[in-house]
Amino acid sequence: MKRDHREISGATDYSSGSGSRVDSSSIGNSVKGKLWEEDQDAGGMDELLAVLGYKVRSSDMADVAQKLEILEMVMGTAQEDGVSHLSSDAVHYNPSDLSGWVQSMLTEFNGPPTPNLDSVLANSDSNSSNPQHQQPNQSRVFIDDSEYDLRAIPGVAAYPPPISYPDPESTRKRVKTSMSSSGSDGYGSGSSFSSPQENGIPGAVTESSTRPVLLVDSQETGVRLVHTLMACAEAVQQDNLKLADALVKHIGLLAASQTGAMRKVATYFAEALARRIYRIFPQDSLDPSYTDILQMHFYEICPYLKFAHFTANQAILEAFATANRVHVIDFGLKQGMQWPALMQALALRPGGPPAFRLTGIGPPEPDNTDALQQVGWKLAQLAETIGIEFEFRGFGANSLADLEPEMLDLRPPEVEVVAVNSVFELHRLLARPGGIEKVVSSIKAMKPKILTVVEQEANLNGPVFLDRFTEALHYYSSLFDSLEGSGVAPPSQDLAMSELYLGRQICNVVACEGMGRVERYETLSQWRTRMEMVGFSPVHLGCNAYKQASMLLALLAGCDGHRVEENKGCLMLGWHTKPLIATSAWRLATTETGK
Amino acid sequence: MVQNHHGTVGENKGKRPKFFINDHVDILIEILKRLDCRSLCVAASVCRLWCTIARNDSLWENLCFRHVSPPPSSVRSVVLALGGYKRLYMGCVRPVRSRLGRVRRASWARDEVQLSLSLFCVDYYERLGGGSNSNGRLVGESSPSSLMFLCKPMNV
Repeated sequence: MKRDHREISGATDYSSGSGSRVDSSSIGNSVKGKLWEEDQDAGGMDELLAVLGYKVRSSDMADVAQKLEILEMVMGTAQEDGVSHLSSDAVHYNPSDLSGWVQSMLTEFNGPPTPNLDSVLANSDSNSSNPQHQQPNQSRVFIDDSEYDLRAIPGVAAYPPPISYPDPESTRKRVKTSMSSSGSDGYGSGSSFSSPQENGIPGAVTESSTRPVLLVDSQETGVRLVHTLMACAEAVQQDNLKLADALVKHIGLLAASQTGAMRKVATYFAEALARRIYRIFPQDSLDPSYTDILQMHFYEICPYLKFAHFTANQAILEAFATANRVHVIDFGLKQGMQWPALMQALALRPGGPPAFRLTGIGPPEPDNTDALQQVGWKLAQLAETIGIEFEFRGFGANSLADLEPEMLDLRPPEVEVVAVNSVFELHRLLARPGGIEKVVSSIKAMKPKILTVVEQEANLNGPVFLDRFTEALHYYSSLFDSLEGSGVAPPSQDLAMSELYLGRQICNVVACEGMGRVERYETLSQWRTRMEMVGFSPVHLGCNAYKQASMLLALLAGCDGHRVEENKGCLMLGWHTKPLIATSAWRLATTETGK
Repeated sequence: MVQNHHGTVGENKGKRPKFFINDHVDILIEILKRLDCRSLCVAASVCRLWCTIARNDSLWENLCFRHVSPPPSSVRSVVLALGGYKRLYMGCVRPVRSRLGRVRRASWARDEVQLSLSLFCVDYYERLGGGSNSNGRLVGESSPSSLMFLCKPMNV
């Protein structure tokens, strides 16, 4: 939760990370030599600062540093606003007790005008240059290059509010502002946070003490919005539904002041929280073709699915290198968008195309439309055009766990090489006890040469609701940011549908529980552990896949923020520094020779 | 242009110029084969003969595989079935090359073509339409994130 100063402040002179070292430009060269020295905590006071006349406990160092940052923000804001809160007379506290002084300065900001920092500085005789050096350096500390990195949402956990939650609106707002002022980590969102650190929250707090509902600064309300979301989730977790209800309504207000990705994310999460509070669970038996349509729009507009398809195809292609008959089992056929590219690559294979058999699994049809067969027919048309022998079979199943390998008409591996492909399907099985084990045993019975798995990179399967909520907030914020960054003009149908698609996932993650909560994403490392435990060994995706993925990204417009990363043979696609989906390939660990 | 020239010098010489390119279609083809896309399009508006030649898919095939070693013959049948080289070039290869221009390395030329082919195939599949897929999605509909919708509708 604490900002890791060591990481950011490489260039700054003042840094503090877990109290282990201090550096200040004015201390002089002698201290610079002590940069890496471990802190002496004999008397509990940091020695280096003590030399300057400040008494700070080493254990408090990070805390003090953070508060100084906040203070710096306040000063900066006050000067920017042109309102000179600093011109009034100071009420001096003991400035050498740095932590106490900073704390008192901060609490001052919630009420009457602040003490004059300059006069305080003047009083600290030989050290006047020191804090001043610290401040501009601290402003550099704020430059968070990963502004989408939701580093910390302290909420109540890290900084318990000084006041407990009574009913009056105004107190709650003050509590929130003090919470938000103490947790100033920038929550970045493309459009609303160009520089989250500059217009700090406390600067506006002085005005807000008279006007509780203050939407003066959208960046300030952005951070407040996040905190409210977290507070609401925490209230839900603690079953304090009355409070949660009030907070949800407040979120709506705050969200209205935002623009862009932040607003949409907040709206979806608020709606999901409201559903959870009022127990209006979304019915999940919606027309599956509707979800397919939504996913098609999502496919069109952003590179995640394309990345998934291309990387998985590359792995499958390499596994099929010399086979004459190949069989692909697709756990989620949807519209079959993955397979044209594979079929084309197989058709132009140096040795000529193999016979291609595709088994597609999809949700059962409520009416007689039989979407699976239609997709199969389209693929057959394509296959005929490009000259591949093609066979298709579709299976409707409510859950992959219902699948029996005998149904699939598997042929012996000498005759036919099998690949199993799962894009965003495996995590649903975690909702059912025994689901994933059953599917894994089915996969093993299929004896695939390769199993390609594409999953979202987030841990939304933890036992604690608040953790899941936090992680989901982080994940979907990045995702929505990337949608915003895709450069598509707003009244685009693709954009709207994609957001709806993601919104439904959010709803499922937040509002549902038990078997209804199917969006149980796990991270790549979790899947790795799981797969290795059940007897699969990893297949490295190779440089071809990486090259293709990079090229694809370079092509698609609006992909400037996306990054392809390689992670122990698996490929991950992310937005700026946050990986969002991961492709991995597996084979049976006990493959006999000749397969 | 050639005919104009013929007209202006006609009175001087009183006979046809010695060399009239349209009489030598094979040379014309060889020349047009080496043009880049823009020049080829311009050439197509010169006269009917040039237009016919410029529409010939083999010229566009050369454009597609210009910087790459010649592909296996199986490629041609696939590409022709999927819509032809002109469509491949205008729809995929050209955008791929221009967009990758800034990050391009020489070794990527072959991969670019392969990627173009894959995207071309995906485009064909999308155009097949039918079912719940939005078969009304025309090539002209602009969607900057998907390669397929970069170009205006082509009259191929």
